[in-house]
Amino acid sequence: MPPASAITALPNAAAPARARQKPRVAPWLLPLILVLGLFYLYPVFDVFRLALTRATLLGDEGGYTFATLAQTLSRPEIPGILGVTATFTLASVFSQQLLGLFIALVVVRGEKRRLFGTTIVRTTALIAWVVPGIAGGIIWKMLFNEAPFGGLNSLLRLMGASPVQWLSDPNLVMWSVVVSNVWRGTAFSMVVMYAALKAIDPVLYEAASVDGATARQRLFHVTLPQLRSAILVNMILITIQTLNTFDAIISLTGGGPGRSTEVLSLYTFNVVFRNYDLASGAVLSILMLIISLGLALIYAAFLPKGEER
Amino acid sequence: MTRTTPFRALICALAVSTALPAMAQNTITGDSVGPADAKQTLTFRMTTDGPRNNEPALAEGYGKLFNEFVARHPGWKIELQMMSGDIGQEQARMLEQSKSGNAPDCAAVDSFVLPLFKKAGVLSSFSPYFKKEEIDQLFPFIRDGVTGTDGKIYAWWWSTDLRVLYRNKAIIPDAPQTWDETKKAALASVDQGMEGILFNGSRYEGTTFDWLANFWGQGGKLVDDAGKPIFGEGEDRAKFVKAVNYYRDLVESGAAPKRVATIGNYDDFNAAAAAGTTALFVGGNWQMSQLKTTLEPEDLANWTFSPLPGPTKDQRSTGTGGWTVASFAKDPAKVEMCANLAREIYMGPANELQQQLPTRADLYDKYPVFSTPENKAFAEALKVGQARPGAPVYPEISNQIQIMMGKVLTGSQPTDAAVDEAFKASLDAFKRL
Repeated sequence: MPPASAITALPNAAAPARARQKPRVAPWLLPLILVLGLFYLYPVFDVFRLALTRATLLGDEGGYTFATLAQTLSRPEIPGILGVTATFTLASVFSQQLLGLFIALVVVRGEKRRLFGTTIVRTTALIAWVVPGIAGGIIWKMLFNEAPFGGLNSLLRLMGASPVQWLSDPNLVMWSVVVSNVWRGTAFSMVVMYAALKAIDPVLYEAASVDGATARQRLFHVTLPQLRSAILVNMILITIQTLNTFDAIISLTGGGPGRSTEVLSLYTFNVVFRNYDLASGAVLSILMLIISLGLALIYAAFLPKGEER
Repeated sequence: MTRTTPFRALICALAVSTALPAMAQNTITGDSVGPADAKQTLTFRMTTDGPRNNEPALAEGYGKLFNEFVARHPGWKIELQMMSGDIGQEQARMLEQSKSGNAPDCAAVDSFVLPLFKKAGVLSSFSPYFKKEEIDQLFPFIRDGVTGTDGKIYAWWWSTDLRVLYRNKAIIPDAPQTWDETKKAALASVDQGMEGILFNGSRYEGTTFDWLANFWGQGGKLVDDAGKPIFGEGEDRAKFVKAVNYYRDLVESGAAPKRVATIGNYDDFNAAAAAGTTALFVGGNWQMSQLKTTLEPEDLANWTFSPLPGPTKDQRSTGTGGWTVASFAKDPAKVEMCANLAREIYMGPANELQQQLPTRADLYDKYPVFSTPENKAFAEALKVGQARPGAPVYPEISNQIQIMMGKVLTGSQPTDAAVDEAFKASLDAFKRL
């Protein structure tokens, strides 16, 4: 074992030598730059490039043009598709956020009171989250099946109620799709909210209690302000996730009846894999990217800055 | 216990121990067939029509066919690649892979996308490997489907299917011949507590394809010779609207439940038949064998099928589809091996194994399985069969018909407006392609 003086002396002796050397960061960053460039930036660049062509899976790209951009964005169905996407995203994001926060509050409260079953509640919610989207869609399709032997309608009949047209009513089908998406996505919000709730300093609640705050006042004046960052970050993540959702919808409704549930991601999928139109698919992908980035920036503007935290 | 019992047990054990390896020998569990050190490899991308079939007996049967095939072609092994259930996406992916030179050497190509593959010029010709007599035996619509503009064949279409009207004889004794008779029969079944007639009506290729027979039966045409959509113009539009209104009237009159707008799977009809909630549905010929395994014998005895009804008894048609085998390889040896695979495994033996309708008239006599009354009736119905048009714009026409059907069946748009919208969108897609 070296003497203590040697241990303390070594860094001091090496420090001037290190200071003289120029830091060489390139060898350390190069692998990361290569991986990012090859697997992340190049595909994004290629999507932008394809958007300026007439590329299809059937023929050549046929030179560069802005026509695809204009033609794709002026298609008559685009406003309807964006409307469906907005409804689906807004309803899903707010429902997931509220439900996730509610379950997390219940679980944390249950844990404080050492109630039985809090782990079961957390695990049950997480099971829905790990189910693949396609499988989730199939499960909900069986439940929403409008045949006499369909899941939910059979229950309604048992209770003497009339069956509901869950998927064939154009005014109702969107809410059926939202329910299936919220069922799957709530667990993620619950986990984020649960972690954030656990991180709140208990002293704040003790001080609030000393001041005689009610439970409602503690929620609105202590809990929610403390969760602000977590809620906004969670909203950014689930908004992007919801905008990209198409697997659950494709297996539940396929986007129908008509275009009632055809969200932008599903429409993009159909344009590329059903119509073989690569260039239009690239334009729609960029549109999705812009919408996601725009929403993320709006949320980020509300994030507490530096000293606010 | 008698003295002979242990002896019998020993014999049984020996018999089982010799039979099991024999079965296992045919079952292909790995990713390749043939010797691992074979000099030549053929990659084959397949559907469940192969050694990975979900039915153990069919998987075993295909395993035997593939093992025998490889034994007849020393120096070769076959690498098996499995497609997922999303056939549309799988076919698009193959098209993309072929453009970048990564496509399999040999693959199952859905007959409905074959025109796109031919147009993209990614397939190698099979003409040198099939005799003229073999090609001449193909049904005319099949021959047209596999032939390119240069007169060469670019795939081997080995199985076909068609749509028929299934009914429960105990509830609907007589086969409906016309649209009016179908509506009356369906309403009569509703009076007996049934759901009415079922058919595909959601965002699904089957929705378009099953319904098109009603348009084709009147002599309607989707596209002209140049592949341009014409179904929304002149006489064709009138026929198109009439056929759409037939389905609309079935739903609005209560002869069909509103849930048809959500059906996009033939299995739903089997489920309804098994649950005893329907007595009439538009299905595929392959469903007869599925009903045999789904229904109890006494229930099965009530089920039969008849040709799809038309506006009149004489205006009938039915959609015919099926699978082809085609080659993306540039190496002539691999193209020839793919053609051999199509001929020796699929052209006949696979038809017999899976009871899938052959595309050659002579095979109906060669295999006794196709001499059953059912298969003879299917073969008879094929005479008015019509394949989907070999136009690159067809997938978009189909997509637009599915969207239109959803709007019409749910009553959210008048028929004329929905048809015009679908036609305009199809024309726009044609201009883009």
